[in-house]
Amino acid sequence: MNLSTLQRFLLFAGLVLKVFVSIAQIPPAGNAPFVDVTDSSGIQHQFKVYEGMFGGGICVFDMDNDGLEDVYLTSGMNDDQLYRNLGNGKFQLAFEGSGLELTRKYVTLGVAGADVNRDGWVDLFVTTLTSRVNPPDIPRARNLLFLNQGNGKFVDATEAYGLADLYSFSTGISFGDVNADGWPDAYVGNYFLAYEGELTYISDATIAGSNQTAKGYLLINEGGQRFRDAFQEYGLQHRGFGFGALFTDYDNDGDPDLLVNHDFGYKAFPSLLLENRFPRKRFRDVSVATGFDLKINAMGAAIGDLNEDGYFDYLVTNIKFNRMMMSQGKGKPYVNQAKELGMKTLAISWGANMVDFDHDGYLEVFVSNGDLNPYCTPMGNFYFENDKGKIVDRSVESGLKDYGIGRGSVVFDMDNDGDLDLLVVNQESVRPGYPVPSITRLYRNDAAKGAWLKVRLKGSEAESHGMGSRVILSVNGRRMMREIDGGGSSHLSQNSTLAHFGLGNATAVDSLIVVWTGGKKQVLVNVQVNQLVEVGEAKGDNPVSIWPMVVAALFVAGFGWLIWRRRKRASVGSID
Amino acid sequence: MKRFVLLALVLVSVGGCKPPVTYTDKEVAAVWGDMALHVSKATPSNSPTYAARAFGYIGLTMYESVVHGFPEYQSLEDALNGVDSFPVPETGKTYHWPLCLSAGQAAIIKYLYPQAQESTVRQVDSLEREVNDFFLEKLQDTALVRRSVAYGQAVAGAIFAWSQTDGGHRGYLRNFDKTYVPPVHPGGWQPALYSQSFSHDPLHPHWGSNRTFLAANAAIPKPDFIPRDTTPGSPYYEQFRLVYEKGNTLTEEEKQMAVWWGDDPGETFTPGGHSYYLATLALRKTQPEMIRWAETFARVGLSISDAFVVCWKWKYHFFTERPNTFIPKYIDVEWESFWPDPPFPAFPSGHAIQSAAAATVLTDLFGEPFSFTDYAHVGRPPDGLRNVTFKARNFTSFWQAAEETANSRFYGGIHLPHDNAVGQSLGVQIGQHVNALPWRKPSSSVSIAP
Repeated sequence: MNLSTLQRFLLFAGLVLKVFVSIAQIPPAGNAPFVDVTDSSGIQHQFKVYEGMFGGGICVFDMDNDGLEDVYLTSGMNDDQLYRNLGNGKFQLAFEGSGLELTRKYVTLGVAGADVNRDGWVDLFVTTLTSRVNPPDIPRARNLLFLNQGNGKFVDATEAYGLADLYSFSTGISFGDVNADGWPDAYVGNYFLAYEGELTYISDATIAGSNQTAKGYLLINEGGQRFRDAFQEYGLQHRGFGFGALFTDYDNDGDPDLLVNHDFGYKAFPSLLLENRFPRKRFRDVSVATGFDLKINAMGAAIGDLNEDGYFDYLVTNIKFNRMMMSQGKGKPYVNQAKELGMKTLAISWGANMVDFDHDGYLEVFVSNGDLNPYCTPMGNFYFENDKGKIVDRSVESGLKDYGIGRGSVVFDMDNDGDLDLLVVNQESVRPGYPVPSITRLYRNDAAKGAWLKVRLKGSEAESHGMGSRVILSVNGRRMMREIDGGGSSHLSQNSTLAHFGLGNATAVDSLIVVWTGGKKQVLVNVQVNQLVEVGEAKGDNPVSIWPMVVAALFVAGFGWLIWRRRKRASVGSID
Repeated sequence: MKRFVLLALVLVSVGGCKPPVTYTDKEVAAVWGDMALHVSKATPSNSPTYAARAFGYIGLTMYESVVHGFPEYQSLEDALNGVDSFPVPETGKTYHWPLCLSAGQAAIIKYLYPQAQESTVRQVDSLEREVNDFFLEKLQDTALVRRSVAYGQAVAGAIFAWSQTDGGHRGYLRNFDKTYVPPVHPGGWQPALYSQSFSHDPLHPHWGSNRTFLAANAAIPKPDFIPRDTTPGSPYYEQFRLVYEKGNTLTEEEKQMAVWWGDDPGETFTPGGHSYYLATLALRKTQPEMIRWAETFARVGLSISDAFVVCWKWKYHFFTERPNTFIPKYIDVEWESFWPDPPFPAFPSGHAIQSAAAATVLTDLFGEPFSFTDYAHVGRPPDGLRNVTFKARNFTSFWQAAEETANSRFYGGIHLPHDNAVGQSLGVQIGQHVNALPWRKPSSSVSIAP
């Protein structure tokens, strides 16, 4: 560390001291709930920014269906990485020879996986900011879609799926089955104005206009053959500094709604909550009515029913103070209760995960923090433990209070011991002399004490991994629910697509209900704990597709009858 | 009067689809003043620095394109920094000065705003065509029209050529210099967390070394800053405490002022544009002859352009922190400014320096008291985040408006009283230097008293 860096660090220490615990206070190494196993895992990763503060993310997916979840990490200006999970906490690079090396030509940012063509293998969608090779004057590039061949190989399907001409500065990618047809659709967040195709002529005007806000892409999957941008068709009009979106069924009506994160919401377009009007091809903007028109620097979101009222709550990360948006019941606006819950702590936050790490049946909250390159002050991550509904800040004791420049974070059971482990992307500091190593870190969860249950969904009519579907448990008089992550959660990332529950001292689950995207329900009773349950979708009619038609038919008939009556009366009257 | 302002704005906004039946000479100056404002607002990636510079050259071009038509006035070519000479009219030939003005304005605006959107360029072109068509019809002299247009364009060309060496040419391509390494010292500026900009590099770090229009403005001595002392009760600490307390007790009217004078370059004609706009109000109210319109725009343009250069010189010399950096650290961790931070150091205030410079020249031209109503942001949708509406503001002097401009940054929580006070004092000096330029010929017949 040279002198000026040291000076700079000491200067910043004032803020750090007051707000974050001083860096000297290194978390206990002994029996910390989480143990940093990065070194022994074989994962060596650091995200390198293109410019500014963007990136990166992680996708958890089982590339070879061997029951061990693998990870793909975007790296910006560094090479992306694909790690095959070997079990027992060991990972092996599987990038070379995979066909994913094409990403080296691009500055990658976000990533998510879904079985786009329903061949049983999870495919990957990687967002890009621009090219690394011969970057254009205005940073833009196509995003990349790779079809998983199941043998460790991926084939670039960007062109074949109609995505080649979408020249964008894209951030988050998320999958959700918008029209409940079983083919995963996608939303891509764009930060700056996007173009149709490469720019052939660039003038001062093109350059000056290029930093304007952008529309997102709503990519409808047409039978697993190609994607079509249906942003306008679905009534979307927003243009913001997009950090992507999260598909989530906030109103419990069985279809994925869309929570859109916008940076600089106080200056440009605020964040949005868009209600899916399925079976209509429409999203309705309910941001103002629900309180989600957040005028903040929305970076990412975590989802979980923290107050157990049967509606999901959302932690939206931000610069300075995060928003803990708590549901207040059906039709009522959400309320930010970060302060009341004891989660209003100053930082610059990106990734977040809301899961039951310690298996006591209550959701913890992890938040990944990191300063804005190139001027970086160390700031530690947050870990809020949930002690039967009371949030306690255990950042220091958790073993998670790393001071690297944190971004995306994901949870998955890397060692298949039933609890959720944590992987957090860190950025390289642009300016030299950052006082601690800032590398991507893998934390093994040693905190879990109670029983657990993992649920893997297998959709036959719904999306093949049950993306967007919901698992509801009744256990000891409590009701817990999870939604299968389609990506765009945390920051630019995708968690495990297995539903995970901590169950305390329960020995069995009274009932397990799966609500598939589209609204169809399936019930399992008396499920034993401490196991992975696979639930295959039972064949049957999709109730949502029928009921609106029945209602519409009744409505038309009723209306026709009214008109008929009026006409009859009128004709009778005319005789008088 | 108000109706006329609105009518003019409507005409500009529709790009002259409905030409007025007639143009008086001074109306030509008026519509081009409005057009300069419109372009500065409509062009993406504009900045307060670049926009002020553009107003400087646009105002000067208006003056130089007509000055030879008014015998008591003279060109500023000998008084400005580094000018060789500006084109002069051909002797013995007649010129139609409003046409010279119009052609010069269209040319200089397009030269300085090549980054403007196509639709904006079309609006400039159609206004120019409309003025030309009107006078061609009226004068019925193609040669005169051609000669006048050519002369206006030649003046604009010469001024643009000179502008290219001042350090700010195409500055919109370098808003944020990634290679700039900021100084590190206690109390130094930090990138904002509640920011107006997505860049975390400071805006135009080298703008302070740009050539000023007046050499005298570059020679203004270094101002004093308060020594940093974080001890409660110290003069430095007290400055921040005042901001903190004001932020906690803002009245409705103070909030309105903070939002009114925000003049965000992404949504409005920038802070310097607000001063140029006040000039249009004063001119519309007093309706002087055309040369006075040109002189007014030139004086305001030169003063705000130099104000931003001088301001940026000291901003990057002192490189001081904003209240959003100091207050959470030393006073209240949860405090946040009412208005987001701009992406550059605090001392001295750009709003204060440019508004004081403009008020100094406008007061010299139009006197004191001078009442006017500022409609700059009337009609904008309310600021939802801060729950503030845009209501017209009344003033009895230019200085009152300048005071309010400076104070508005204090109310917004982004400037110290000291940033404002020093900004104003620098601005007054800059304005006085502009006033002292040899605008009028030293005519013996006028100056010798009987």
